[in-house]
Amino acid sequence: MKRIWRGTVLGVALVAVAAAVFSTAASGGGKAPYANYPRSQTLITSGTQWGNIAGMNPYTGNYAAGMVGLVNETLLRFDPIKGKYIDWLAKSAGWSGKKYKIVVRSGVKWTNGKAFTGKDVAFNINLGRFKTAFWNNLWVNVKQIKVNGNTVLITFKGTPNYIQWQNLMWNLPMISPVQASAIKSAAQLTTYSPNVPIGTGPYTVAAGGFDPTTRVVYQKNNGWWAAKAHVSPSPKPKYIIDLVNTSNTNSLDAVLAGVEDLNNNYLPGVNQLVAQHKVSTYYPSKPYMLSANTAWLEPNTTRAPLNDPVFRRALAMSMNTGQVVSQDYAHLVRPASPTGLLPTWNKYIDKAAVKKYGFKYGPSAAKKLLQKHGYKLSGGWFQTKGGQAINLDLSVPQGWSDWETARNMIVNSAAQAGIKITVKVKDYNTWASDRNTGNFDLVIDNNYQLSDNPWTYWNGIYHLPVIKSGTGQTFANFERYSNATAWKLVQKLDHTAPNNTKQIRALNDKLQTILMQKLPLIPLWYNGVWAQFTSKYWTNWPSAKSSRRYVPAMWRGYLQMTGIDVITHLKQK
Amino acid sequence: MTRYFLRKMVIYALTFVVAVTVDWAIPHLMPGNPVNTLMGRIQIQDPKVAHQVYTHYMRAFNLDLPLWKQYWYFWVSLFHGDLGTSILQFPTPVMSIITHAIPYTLALLIPAIALSWYAGNKFGALAARHMGLDNTVLPLGYALTATPYMWLGILLIWVLAVTWHVFPVGFAYDPTAVRGFDWPFISNLAYHWFLPFLSLFLVAFGGWAIGMRNMIIYELESDYAHYLGALGAPHRLIRKYAFRNAVLPQVTGLALALGAILGGALVTEIVFSYPGLGYQIYRAITNEDYFVIQGIFLFIIIGVLLANFVVDIVYLVVDPRTRIGMEGGRA
Repeated sequence: MKRIWRGTVLGVALVAVAAAVFSTAASGGGKAPYANYPRSQTLITSGTQWGNIAGMNPYTGNYAAGMVGLVNETLLRFDPIKGKYIDWLAKSAGWSGKKYKIVVRSGVKWTNGKAFTGKDVAFNINLGRFKTAFWNNLWVNVKQIKVNGNTVLITFKGTPNYIQWQNLMWNLPMISPVQASAIKSAAQLTTYSPNVPIGTGPYTVAAGGFDPTTRVVYQKNNGWWAAKAHVSPSPKPKYIIDLVNTSNTNSLDAVLAGVEDLNNNYLPGVNQLVAQHKVSTYYPSKPYMLSANTAWLEPNTTRAPLNDPVFRRALAMSMNTGQVVSQDYAHLVRPASPTGLLPTWNKYIDKAAVKKYGFKYGPSAAKKLLQKHGYKLSGGWFQTKGGQAINLDLSVPQGWSDWETARNMIVNSAAQAGIKITVKVKDYNTWASDRNTGNFDLVIDNNYQLSDNPWTYWNGIYHLPVIKSGTGQTFANFERYSNATAWKLVQKLDHTAPNNTKQIRALNDKLQTILMQKLPLIPLWYNGVWAQFTSKYWTNWPSAKSSRRYVPAMWRGYLQMTGIDVITHLKQK
Repeated sequence: MTRYFLRKMVIYALTFVVAVTVDWAIPHLMPGNPVNTLMGRIQIQDPKVAHQVYTHYMRAFNLDLPLWKQYWYFWVSLFHGDLGTSILQFPTPVMSIITHAIPYTLALLIPAIALSWYAGNKFGALAARHMGLDNTVLPLGYALTATPYMWLGILLIWVLAVTWHVFPVGFAYDPTAVRGFDWPFISNLAYHWFLPFLSLFLVAFGGWAIGMRNMIIYELESDYAHYLGALGAPHRLIRKYAFRNAVLPQVTGLALALGAILGGALVTEIVFSYPGLGYQIYRAITNEDYFVIQGIFLFIIIGVLLANFVVDIVYLVVDPRTRIGMEGGRA
């Protein structure tokens, strides 16, 4: 009896303690008993940071999401929906013949109180002298950087890389020389990571809130130049917290539980949540999302029969992309143009060429094309011209469920055209390693993000030389397509002055014609700028049906592409 | 006794060397190259610059050296207490990642292992003597012990967090909480700790309860128990002896189960976005972060070896036959 009493008392005591703990912790909302960032004044985002936050180095790929844009700003920004550059830290920036002239905006201040000047711009560009700087290839072509007050004039040794340089202007974050003067070597450029970076942006890093495994906290900078100069509305959220991602499933839970305001993960079935008014998206109905990059079928063009453009065309014609778009993605994505050029680059699409050289889904026509060019059917499957069986392997990173479903659909639709494809399961690292070294037949891939110029897309497709040894291709031309003419056109495009619109048009036309004729890649669909937002705490989100046509993403590089406008236009509920 | 411990120490030392070698070899023999993953995040447009940056990182991580040299440097660094630098979170030291993650994992593991073992054994012993309990609650134990940790975690989140909003969906603390060493923040930590703890506890509890229930039934049917009964010993005394004998395999089972429970903790942390070692190792494996994989597994190896050593000592205490046997006597 005594033991029963003892057990009961112990149990009751434990329950009481647990109840006290949980009631203290759970009585949330704005009245949380623990010191907190008030929820009603805090914007919570997620979907960018996978794995721990590496720190505050804007030159490595894993820096705190939001740092470039919220803290360290760029000279220009780019609006992909309007296709226009936005003057930002620069009052103006552009080409003057073969020289690039930047006029720094006056009244911009660093968070340490010092004025942002032309010298700071020169300092930042000159960090490119280190071999580990991503713009080192552009810096080596710089002849002189002349600073005169707020004007910075850059002259080049040879013909400028017009497109790459312009791209740099809205991608190079301005970091404070006070902190960055410690960078004296290429190695130090990679290890630079101040606890609280000095910036010019609308927010500063709240160092006390930083937890590399969980979140980064930004606090509003009340002295932000853009609000003072009425260049931009002052952002309403006092704090922004970007949470580390663990999985799409966890993100879905967090969105449904009201933890996150803006989520940038791919969430399967989000169209149903939109229909139930649980979340909103940029478009209220299909395609729901803006387009971020092109997903394509990447053939290894060095292997037979994929080295034959006719076979690649037949393969392209066998792709039932419509099925992938409607059944796999429930119309969260759009089918790609045969050029693969993103919708924001529509103005570059040569419609006559698309009509002439584009491809359409048609398994019967694909069969006929192969037969016409000497491929023979045997037992329902095509053989090579030499009579050998064709059996291509196709892989996607294991666990990428949407791509796995698409892969299965592709296998089935190719089978209808008599092309045998076998699924090969590979984890991401094996998949990436095999892709880089050319150990594959077919992969589904998407490498080049939305940008200000289709040159980044062409550069990715046609880049030469193809590296055949060591780690192989590390950033472009994974299809290992060797076309010297196309590569020359890509280089020429980069060296064409932006006012030479006629030549730019002609070069883009040629490059897309080559793509559609030779199909080194088979464009399939456009992956979305995955973005779903809730209105529990913040309203006035961007939408295609409003004047707020901004790209709702915290992804790296996207805050400069009007992502910051999303934040500055939010209203407290 | 000294000989016994010396022999054990030699076995543990050999196990350590082999385990650490495997720990080093597995990530290094994985296909792919972690620097490529890092390069993919930087997105450099120019191949010459890409090559420069690639070479820089390969040198920084000693990955440009032959494998035997990398292995040698690994042991040299280990004896200097240097576990290297994370590739994914460059330039964060691995030790800093581990020291940040370890409290979370220990906070889950120690209570889950200790409480599930204690409560499972008590409950199993109780169920063995009560037919009603044995037929009603114990089947739940079978279901629990057969439940994958991950699945139970997802189920708990869905029901208690997403649907009923009773508990948080994940993380170690509320995203808006300001961290501090005070009661409100500690209670917030406990609130976020409870569900991952519960999923670990429930699965392990089922296993211990079933094991103990079977052992008690076996012991109560053994000759010594019948003999004691025939002598007129009270049931309580018989049950006490039965429990003491039945608990021995459970102690051995605890040593064997440590690895499985640890594995369960790793997946549980992933499900709950709980930033312990499991979550870190998952990220490290998917990104081929060699040094973080090595560092965390090293800690796990040391932890499991130490725990086994403790169990060995406990066994000496709870089983007099072992103790007497080692002292040269006969049980």
